[in-house]
Amino acid sequence: MPREAEPSLNEKQFVIQALQENLRLDGRELDQYRPLELSFGDQYGLADVKLGKTRVLAKATAEVTVPYTDRPLDGIFTIATELGPMTSPAFEVNRPTETEVLLSRLLEKTVRRSGALDTESLCLVAGQKCWSVRVDVHVLSHDGNLIDASCLAVVAALRHFRKPDTSMEAGVLTVYTPAEREPVPLSWLHSPFCVTWSFFGEEGEIAVLDATWIEEQVRVGSCTVSLNKHGEICQIAKLGGTPVEAVALLQCVSVSLTKVKEFSDLLDRKLAEDLKRRDKGGFMAELRAENDR
Amino acid sequence: MTATTLPEAALGVLPRADGSARYSHAGYTVTASVNGPIEAQRRDEHAYEAHIDVIVRPAAGVGGTRERHLESILQSSLAQIILVKNFPRSLIQIVLQVEDSPENDYVNTKLVQASLNFAIMPALMQTAVLALLSAAVPMRATATATAVAIMHQDGAKQTVVDPHPRDIEKAQSVHVLAFTSHDELLLAESEGDFTVKEWDNVYETARGICCRSPPQAKEGMAMLLDDESTGGPDMRQFLRSTMGFKVAADLHWK
Amino acid sequence: MSNDRLFVLPGETIDPSLIPSHPKNPLRLGPGLRHIPPSDIVPTVAGQLITNPVKNFMSIEYNSTHYIPSQGDIILAQILRSTTDFYLCSLAPYTAPATLPHLAFESATKKTRPILSPGQLVYARVSLANAHMDPELECVHASTGKADGLGPITGPGCVFDVSLGFARRLLMARAVEDGGVGVLDMLGGEEGGGLAFETAVGRNGRVWVGSDNPKTVVIVGRALQETDRSRLGMERQRRLVKKLVREMRWRD
Repeated sequence: MPREAEPSLNEKQFVIQALQENLRLDGRELDQYRPLELSFGDQYGLADVKLGKTRVLAKATAEVTVPYTDRPLDGIFTIATELGPMTSPAFEVNRPTETEVLLSRLLEKTVRRSGALDTESLCLVAGQKCWSVRVDVHVLSHDGNLIDASCLAVVAALRHFRKPDTSMEAGVLTVYTPAEREPVPLSWLHSPFCVTWSFFGEEGEIAVLDATWIEEQVRVGSCTVSLNKHGEICQIAKLGGTPVEAVALLQCVSVSLTKVKEFSDLLDRKLAEDLKRRDKGGFMAELRAENDR
Repeated sequence: MTATTLPEAALGVLPRADGSARYSHAGYTVTASVNGPIEAQRRDEHAYEAHIDVIVRPAAGVGGTRERHLESILQSSLAQIILVKNFPRSLIQIVLQVEDSPENDYVNTKLVQASLNFAIMPALMQTAVLALLSAAVPMRATATATAVAIMHQDGAKQTVVDPHPRDIEKAQSVHVLAFTSHDELLLAESEGDFTVKEWDNVYETARGICCRSPPQAKEGMAMLLDDESTGGPDMRQFLRSTMGFKVAADLHWK
Repeated sequence: MSNDRLFVLPGETIDPSLIPSHPKNPLRLGPGLRHIPPSDIVPTVAGQLITNPVKNFMSIEYNSTHYIPSQGDIILAQILRSTTDFYLCSLAPYTAPATLPHLAFESATKKTRPILSPGQLVYARVSLANAHMDPELECVHASTGKADGLGPITGPGCVFDVSLGFARRLLMARAVEDGGVGVLDMLGGEEGGGLAFETAVGRNGRVWVGSDNPKTVVIVGRALQETDRSRLGMERQRRLVKKLVREMRWRD
């Protein structure tokens, strides 16, 4: 496998030097995100997030399976992350790198462990049948800050997703196909988002939001805060790196909250737009199906 | 219910890849990235030609044997049109990410083990060719592909172009054909029961879609008939105009 | 040259009337074309056909991002590591490394050769490019023994990636008239308020911008990348330069 390209010494030195003067290569402010775009696919549960040159695709799917024996009342919810060769030729299929492992752990902690999806509602017949919801995260293009982009994509995909409707009658479970009954949304409790800070400088005194790939290569540490728009913190991860002042971290968390509110508003707005678009399409599709028969 | 939507494509959608394309047609949306020629791994190195690596990734679930099968078909077809001898000991990597595929609303599918539909082949092929062109990888010719299904309806045989998953389920046979821009048959894969005569019909239909001559020669009667009988989109013209726009935009300064 | 705007795809037939036929000079083929004996000339990439009957030359004009080494190109290479006799350098990500002999610098001897550490940038010329071999670089003119501006890049500055077509336009002798790139002149001139900077453009799509003032480096880099990516014409380049300079002033 070809080795991952490394930034040149000149670039590394310059990025650090410029940040000392509050200057970023793309002219952004230190706490400014790159332009964020979110779009949905034709099928339910497909979300496409573009953050500058970073692009992440998340696809949610569901199927009926048998629940785990130790958790008979819960459904199954998994997030599968992959950084394939599309991300960079240096990544190989089925050989996870550190970046990939950290990314999937963080998504797990943020979305799954925080109880964003009500797994009990996925149970169909206790101990026998339940829904297994799976989100596949595909990183199409990596220019830094995968965590924030992926988290938004996962949450957007799950909130956009509709699973087939079911009914229980006299002990018989029926799963309706989309043609028989309109699919139903998941039981969603709250929407957590990740905000990742990168630290620069000898004591990590320069805090930067939404680092690009090259900035990530020269940072001295990073910290990911996951919270929802109500300011409830789901997790904080600061994995190694230079120690950072507690007060500075508190400051970071409060700025994170304003960013999370922006994400949340964007997602709500996009979901509403998509619903409107779909309503029209659904009606037309219905008409066409009639004619076909 | 044949999707009669026209194909759509965008080039250079992934800024960090050497070439990329996003293509949607008949309900399928595929994004492709091309990197190369890059350094090949020892085990993939050929002394005289470039190694073509094709990777197909389903939208949901893990890839399995079906994906490997599609990859190997695409790999051998694309190696025919890329000038592999120009880049010995190197690697040209083509990654195809399926984004959207039409779903059959009348069945609930199992999805943890992805099983890509055979009819996605033309979309994969077309996206790969567009991405290769956008990466300016030297090629012998371009290629166009299409899927055709033979259905039995009320005792009569019917050929359906770009079949919907629901058609495929009921179809007697499904065929995927690709042609180079020199009108040579590049790929022919079939599934199901069919006779030689049926296959000949399929071949003619697919040829009509993939190998239409450029507009200036389009005045003949045969062309007119073709347009009526197939009604499918002119793939070659589509490829040409898509690339034409890209090149014109790239060279705006001239 | 500009009236021949024929668009071609790989494998298409070129009208024989378009192929220049000079009585004396041999026909020369530029990038994007191949000759299939006996007499077929076929494009291998999608682009515009360029023919020049006077020089008896034809080629395909196109833009791409992946650099393929070609002899005589001036490029910006990055040192990967050093071996006993040469440095291994990268010209483009994920490609096979190029070799730069320790002695291929101006007046370099075993004792006076420059010591370069991994990650450092070198402005060099491709001295050997061949499909079957790894490319070779030099920082000195083989016959004159002069560096002619080539060598390790030092001093404050940063590298910016651009498309290969844009790098070629920047390297044109008359970049403003023939290439339609005026940003650099504008930045250093009236519109940019006379910014002081230097550049080193590599055919491999990398541009080094050097200046003591980091703000200048950022402005120049952004102006270059934006002009390339958004395919700006002259007038829009002028507006971009003014906008960037204004933004930076405002930050002070």
